[in-house]
Amino acid sequence: MSDPTESLGVVPREVRLRDLRPTETPTIIIGRVVSVQRREITRRSDGGRRPVLSGLLSDGTATVRFTWWDPPADEIERGMVLKAGPVQVREFRGRAEVTFNWRTQVAPASAAEMPALTESDLPSVAIADLHDGDEGFRLAARVVRVRPKTVTVGEERRLLHEGILLDGSGTLAFTAWSDFGLVEGEPVRIVGGYVRAFRGRAQLVLDERSHVERWDGSGLPTADAWNQSGPTTIASVETAGGAEHTTLEGVVVGLAPPSGLVYRCPTCRRSLSKGLCRLHGSVEGEPDLRARIVLDDGTGAATVNADRPTTERLWRRSLDDCLDQLRRQPDPSVLEGQLAEALFGRRLRVKGRASSDDFGLTVYPETVEDAGPPAELEVAALERLARGEAP
Amino acid sequence: MTGREPAWRVFAHEFRASVEEEKGTGDRAASYVLSPIGARMNRVLAVGTLTPPEPVGRDPTNPFLRANLVDPTGTFQVTAGGFQPRALAALQAIQGPQRSLVVGKANLYRGRDQTAYVSIRAEALRGIGEKEYRTALAEALRHTAQRIDLSTRLRAPTAPTDATDRSVTAAPPRWLDAARRSIARYPTADPATFRAPLAAVVLALQGEEPASAQVPQSAVPSGRVTVTRTPPAPLEAPVSSAVRAEEASFLDIVDDLSERSVDGYADLKEALALALQGGVGPHRAEELLNRLEEGGVLEEPIVGKVRRA
Repeated sequence: MSDPTESLGVVPREVRLRDLRPTETPTIIIGRVVSVQRREITRRSDGGRRPVLSGLLSDGTATVRFTWWDPPADEIERGMVLKAGPVQVREFRGRAEVTFNWRTQVAPASAAEMPALTESDLPSVAIADLHDGDEGFRLAARVVRVRPKTVTVGEERRLLHEGILLDGSGTLAFTAWSDFGLVEGEPVRIVGGYVRAFRGRAQLVLDERSHVERWDGSGLPTADAWNQSGPTTIASVETAGGAEHTTLEGVVVGLAPPSGLVYRCPTCRRSLSKGLCRLHGSVEGEPDLRARIVLDDGTGAATVNADRPTTERLWRRSLDDCLDQLRRQPDPSVLEGQLAEALFGRRLRVKGRASSDDFGLTVYPETVEDAGPPAELEVAALERLARGEAP
Repeated sequence: MTGREPAWRVFAHEFRASVEEEKGTGDRAASYVLSPIGARMNRVLAVGTLTPPEPVGRDPTNPFLRANLVDPTGTFQVTAGGFQPRALAALQAIQGPQRSLVVGKANLYRGRDQTAYVSIRAEALRGIGEKEYRTALAEALRHTAQRIDLSTRLRAPTAPTDATDRSVTAAPPRWLDAARRSIARYPTADPATFRAPLAAVVLALQGEEPASAQVPQSAVPSGRVTVTRTPPAPLEAPVSSAVRAEEASFLDIVDDLSERSVDGYADLKEALALALQGGVGPHRAEELLNRLEEGGVLEEPIVGKVRRA
């Protein structure tokens, strides 16, 4: 294809997506279509319709959003490699974006034309530095948890592996769409992963283009040390916007609704509201116990979603026992009051995933234990603290 | 910062020295009581020995109880009314002095003479064992000492920059924010004076507290602050049931008048005249009116016209 910029006597420059900046120099890019969507925009002036294609392009160093005005009628599919130039580069919320307009020549290219990435081209990063949208980095971390999971994508059932990575700076959840044979405790070096936000938290996604290799992991914290780490403050988890796996300790200061006896949809297990399921309408609800415990450590408060076994254990009462009481005394709010009384003021230690939203921090616990008073209070240390001496 | 307000771990000496507040505006905005050493309390968690409550007010359909919670540094006033049925029931059940844990809203009431009265409006409370008590004391001691430290550092003339001082940067953001707000409101307070009463907490942790936990107030030095605008809070003078009765009958008069008036307001002169007929002297009635306006029960948006707030 001919390049219209040649006539201007300016040599267009091929730029890696990571290095894209708004510039006067004609720019050529090459990248693989990660996602694409065709729309039509209605012109305000005459009501005419103009087709536009938009999506994401990636070349392994970065992913940028593209907008393609008046695209060809041919199908542009995910996975195609495109070469385009000159493109218009803009910056939106600190990220580069490209627009293909009437001057832009766009053509399919082969994967071989993509910039060859050697390891040294990619910066080495720590988990704490990773943000939504990042790619083109090297990460050395330890797999501290990995679990297989089967999901249905369209018609297809796929096996993926979910887990948690750990380095000296923090933890990161990951989803691997290919089986890399990851093993808990193993240190790995990862190239070709990318970061996506999932439930408000950064998550590493590994696919068939990612590369994982083992190494000795010197300098990485061990899985044991991580498992046995003591409680952290609720404030620090709030600041971090959640955590893949955290240990919190605090006092139960109350219960958030709905707590106590709830009824669930027999099909989808959602809590019923006034006997109705959001999805399945009027159904015969199945009784269940739950507790949304408000845990407070003085630096912040979190809602801990306790399931039935946990609620039964903390309450020392069973669902059957509660239903029995309900038959004698048909007022479920009595049960909620009794649950609140049984839990209020208890010091609990909770381990699990924490996520943060407008309503604050919610913990999905794996374990909930009575923390109990420490065997020995460090009275001498507390005395120094009271006097204002360094502990 | 979103989410639920945390329950600040405070001792009575800090709580009682709190005379500043931030009133929330707008829908469901939270109000805070600020302590001189940087607790910005919407909610508090306190432990101590709870004494049997006494009823306040004479209306049997609107029960309101008040009790004392004594910790090694002083006494909290704890209240519960009909809007806190569980706390009310729990308070009613207290027969004798009992080690207790109380969670509730920090409440500040300012009298006509600008004297601040702080109390905890209990949301929930329960009796606790000795070990739980000591664990909670230790926690409150750690938090209080950290607040004193943080407030002292931030008040230093050459205040450390956030980037250099780890004790400042490591503090929970909420604590840091609270400490700065408190310094603005108590510019002359000396955090160090809040340290001495902690010795009594250490004694209690060593198990040397009198069994009754009724530490005489005079024996414990209490952290005091002088604020140019308002004096430190003395012990709250209990409002007698006679005064409550007067308030109630005055409110009845106002309700009655505003119901019959065209604009929905009670004429103040009329109300005072009726109160006089009811045997409340003019000076006394003025006092009543002031207290009800201060307490947010009545408002006077137009001079001479009052109505329920």
